[in-house]
Amino acid sequence: MKKRLLSLVLAATMIFGITGCGTDSDSGTNSGAEEAQSTDDISPATIKFQYWADNTDYSSLMQDIIKKFNDENEYGITVEGEETPWDGGGYSNTLFNAAMGGGAPDVATFKLTATPMFVNNNLFTDLTPYIESWDDKDDIPDNIYRVMREAGGSDSSLYLMPWNTQILYVYYRPSIFEEAGITEIPQTYDEFLEAIKRCTMDTDGDGETDVYGFGMRGGSGGQEPWGSFIHGKGGSFDQLTSEESIQGMQDFIDLYSNGYVPKTATSDGFQETLSNFKSGLTAMFIHHVGSSLGLEEELGDDVAAFMIPKGKGQWTSMGDTETVMFDSCENKAAAFEWMKYLAAYEGQKMWCEGTGQVPVSQSVQQGDYFQNNEFMKVSLEGIDFAGIVPVKDTTTEWISNWPAIISQALTGEISAEECMEQLDQALNQ
Amino acid sequence: MKRKSFFKRFLTLYLPLIVILIFILFPFYWTFITSIKSDSELYGSITYWPKHIQWESYKELFTTTVDFLAAMKNSFIVAITTTIVSLTASTLASYAFSRYRFPGRKAMMALFLSNNMFPTVLLLIPLYTMMRKLGLLYKPQSLVLAYTTFTLPFSVWLLNGFFNDLPLSLEEAALVDGCNRRTAFFKIILPILSPCLVATGVYIFMTSWNEYTFAVMFTNKATRTIPVALKSLIGQLGVDWGLMTAGGIITIIPVCIMFFFAQKRLVEGLTAGAVKG
Repeated sequence: MKKRLLSLVLAATMIFGITGCGTDSDSGTNSGAEEAQSTDDISPATIKFQYWADNTDYSSLMQDIIKKFNDENEYGITVEGEETPWDGGGYSNTLFNAAMGGGAPDVATFKLTATPMFVNNNLFTDLTPYIESWDDKDDIPDNIYRVMREAGGSDSSLYLMPWNTQILYVYYRPSIFEEAGITEIPQTYDEFLEAIKRCTMDTDGDGETDVYGFGMRGGSGGQEPWGSFIHGKGGSFDQLTSEESIQGMQDFIDLYSNGYVPKTATSDGFQETLSNFKSGLTAMFIHHVGSSLGLEEELGDDVAAFMIPKGKGQWTSMGDTETVMFDSCENKAAAFEWMKYLAAYEGQKMWCEGTGQVPVSQSVQQGDYFQNNEFMKVSLEGIDFAGIVPVKDTTTEWISNWPAIISQALTGEISAEECMEQLDQALNQ
Repeated sequence: MKRKSFFKRFLTLYLPLIVILIFILFPFYWTFITSIKSDSELYGSITYWPKHIQWESYKELFTTTVDFLAAMKNSFIVAITTTIVSLTASTLASYAFSRYRFPGRKAMMALFLSNNMFPTVLLLIPLYTMMRKLGLLYKPQSLVLAYTTFTLPFSVWLLNGFFNDLPLSLEEAALVDGCNRRTAFFKIILPILSPCLVATGVYIFMTSWNEYTFAVMFTNKATRTIPVALKSLIGQLGVDWGLMTAGGIITIIPVCIMFFFAQKRLVEGLTAGAVKG
């Protein structure tokens, strides 16, 4: 009897313990037409900021920026940085789960592709009123705001604060171009393909290729340089099964099957293509200014760049990183101060100079560091036609499935047409 | 004749053994040499032994923002505590399931089993909300609780099997000799069961040592565990293979040491007979 009573009391305590703690609940809804808190509303507050760092240097840099902001801002705002692994895009899922579980940070770094998932669940604050009342809002070009609005799926609401972009272009080794007898950088898409073929060389006469023309990226993230080939033949993401798109895919396959790119291309990611370029195994590869610092350090004068040339069409990928404010943030005006700092002021300058990424702030772009940088100038050549993979519900999954589908095409298991059908189905249907 | 039998033995025993060992050990070997290669060699042509050995990656692991030492400490705290909590609870629970007959026994066992049929990721958001409300978020306790929820059912089933195989006569003999239930449990059952406890303990430890999904959600900078620290080396732009493999090697060292001792206990237990005479 005693035991039974004891077990009843224990069970009751447990139930009470669990349910009793769950009394306060978050509404988690977005009022939409919210008024912006003005700078007068800013009181000393702590802002939880979640971000990912692509390497340990970026991680230290972000910590320096946070420290500088905390030391120097006039409102007594303290930003608490919380680093979370990028995890091959799993970052967005982790952020989403935390937000759904009621534990979202105040501000987080973000990628456009994950926007629909968050916007559909009303997790973000509409930044429009904050940007409208920001004096320096014109420092960021209108077309960047436009891309942010499109990603959010609404013309009137802006959920993403621009932070930095990366525009892809072709890096090449002038010494290899010279050896291959190429005197001018390719001006058209066909010349670009021709240059790849000519740079593929057997330098020691042993019958094996020692230098490949192009460092193809068939692994993770390879859809970005790949998109330029599709558009070069006049294709597009909206019509992946069109004849032009399939021809672009065929060019891509031909480069692999004819031995103009390393055999490992089916699984090569950024790091591999970069190292192959550095070691002289490849003559060209596609990436953004983020690599330029390291390449100049390693190769000195023997690295230069040109924008992906025009064929029937022209496209290059605009990488993006933004910041977002969650609706659950209590000190929105204070949080926006931090977002502004990253988008246009010292935070923008420090991050872009430290990582070599293209600033969104036009005043920062005018700085000596950016004006005297050859690679930055090539980046800016692409600003008019740079784009992103269309942001849809399917995009994130499409990006993660892309390498598997492409590697089947490269190794000849499926044809260019079958490959494009699969990609089209995964993205557009 | 002797030579022939050695040859036969080599073909039937040593050769397959060597082939299997190569398959098992080569990935570890590859991980290790990758961790001591320089960047140029890492991505250059394939070498099976590094031309220049360098330990930079190991140094960086502890001196940069990765802070691997703190992650190791956190992982140990979480894995050991989870093992103790989960093993204690599952031993007591499975003893009760095995030795007592009470209403709802079968239903509860089935419930335990069904819990394991759901992917653990389904529990993620509800557990996250609970931890937040209980104020346990970003503390190692939250991971201990979470890991216990999904290691417990399997451990109970595993130990229940061991308990059922244990002859009742052993306990009855102890009771006749003057023990009560408690002393019989501690003095007779537990020592015999120790190899099974070691096996279950190893399962619980390994599960909590390697878990990532919950760890990334329930911890912050101060309480990060090893899997999260290792994942932070995979950036958008690629993988820092040097650091990643160095981290991998350091991660498996304590586990190897633990297995070394656990294996001894496991073998001991297997050879010790349960009922004698």
